[in-house]
Amino acid sequence: MPAPVSVLPEIVRITFRQLLGRRRTLLLLLLAALPVLLAVIFRLAGQVDVKEYSTGVFDTVSLTIVLPLTAVLFGTGAFGAENDEGTILYLLAKPIPRWIIVASKALAAVLLAVSLTVASVVLGGLVELFPAGPDGVAATEAQVVAMVVGSICYVALFVPLSLFTRRALVIGIGYMLVWEGALSFMLPGIANLSIRQYAIGASTAIYRLPLEETRLPADTAFVLSAILVVVAMAIATWRLRRFELSGGSD
Amino acid sequence: MTAEVLPAPVAAPVAAPAIELAGAARWYGNVVAVNDVSFSLGAGVTGLLGPNGAGKTTLLHMLAGFLAPSAGTVRVLGRSPHRDPSVYRQIGLVPERESVYSFLTGFEYVRYNGRLQGLANADSAARVAIARVGLEDAADRPIGTYSKGMRQRAKVAGALVHEPQVLLLDEPFNGMDPRQRLAMMDLLGEMANAGRTILFSSHILEEVERIGTEILVMVAGRLAASGDFRAIRALMTDRPHTVTIHSSDDRKLATTLMADSAVFAVELQPNGLSVRTAHLSAFRRIVATSCQAAQVRLLEVLPADESLESVFDYLVRR
Repeated sequence: MPAPVSVLPEIVRITFRQLLGRRRTLLLLLLAALPVLLAVIFRLAGQVDVKEYSTGVFDTVSLTIVLPLTAVLFGTGAFGAENDEGTILYLLAKPIPRWIIVASKALAAVLLAVSLTVASVVLGGLVELFPAGPDGVAATEAQVVAMVVGSICYVALFVPLSLFTRRALVIGIGYMLVWEGALSFMLPGIANLSIRQYAIGASTAIYRLPLEETRLPADTAFVLSAILVVVAMAIATWRLRRFELSGGSD
Repeated sequence: MTAEVLPAPVAAPVAAPAIELAGAARWYGNVVAVNDVSFSLGAGVTGLLGPNGAGKTTLLHMLAGFLAPSAGTVRVLGRSPHRDPSVYRQIGLVPERESVYSFLTGFEYVRYNGRLQGLANADSAARVAIARVGLEDAADRPIGTYSKGMRQRAKVAGALVHEPQVLLLDEPFNGMDPRQRLAMMDLLGEMANAGRTILFSSHILEEVERIGTEILVMVAGRLAASGDFRAIRALMTDRPHTVTIHSSDDRKLATTLMADSAVFAVELQPNGLSVRTAHLSAFRRIVATSCQAAQVRLLEVLPADESLESVFDYLVRR
């Protein structure tokens, strides 16, 4: 009997290399730099205003574009890269419980998404919000919480999606625009089903950002996020256990 | 952060075959890829032969647990490989697709396989596996820079790093040069002698000659023949052949040819004579002597049905 080993870090490490080696990751870096650039412009214009920056940059750019796009790309890419390159067979032909494979892939995507989105809001906050005093510092911390919770939830949603369809990226971007972007604004009733609202709600545990719509209290947001992650990981594991190679008569 | 690899499957009884299919079938909608295939294999090398599209890959994927049989049963070491990842402790798989982690070096790739297999000494196991496929010189180069044959060898090293009891290889000799092919055949032979069960697919008959004493022939999803390579090979050589001959006087030559017992039938056609014979080698001599006897000039001799498909077709029709 071989000794127990840590296969999870092995899969995480490979997934990092797969995800970082893609050209689209470079686009994400540029995208994450956008809020920082805007913070610099705000600062140079002499405007140090928590409310203005929160709605104008954090809400419109970080929360609506950078966070979901980063998480969609990493979340769908975790298994997507293995599928595209046909290497998933090497991973699955191993005596590893399928939930460990799912957890490793999701963890790798979350770590990358969190690193990028958190770095983006922290740098932006240092430039624009810290000079505003304690409110600015608290606002930055709240943004960090929103990025962490948002990254985890979006990745949790898109990892299983990529196991059901090869068009996960397109569907993910569609979901981001239609559901999170339009419907959750228009229909306050779906706050319970909006990851954007989970992220905003969770951030109120630190500080209530002056955003136009904050629809969930922090504890509800945390509970709903936890439920989403558990259910999504269970579905992904179920799906991977039933993995079948598609098509081909030979 | 640590995770345990599933425990090794309980060893099957010694008498039980390592691979066992009973009435196994797999279809995709209306397309039947594998149809009612039954066989069992113990230790040794077995070649799975058949033309492209015969269902070889589907069969190997069923054995590897990546496809559930639509009907019948598939067992590897007494277990159903589909939905039972613990069986991979004892299976090594070399898929046909050339895909590999191109950013990893050969050594990193093989070690990664070893670690995911739960090997405590993945580093040394990887070195041993790399040496077995003769890839030491390129071990520290990214796989992306490898030739096709080197990639195949890296894939094989990754599949045998954990010393599996059963090795499944899909077209393993693709892209290998003759020297690498011989070395790989010898390696598979050694592993079989050590009591392992090795099943490899190929659409090239000659690849089987050196190692596969036992072969399975698949045609159109069905098992067309199985048994000793030499017996099947003889069957293939001694089957009736059709040869087209063109000469200065086809009608005259036809009369002479019909007098020989090795010739079954002669048909006079606009573009020459279509001759059916049982023994190709004997027939070559007959043609020359017949032309001489009939005093006709031989212009052309064409084998009409030498493709691998026709050989397999013949086996199916038998």
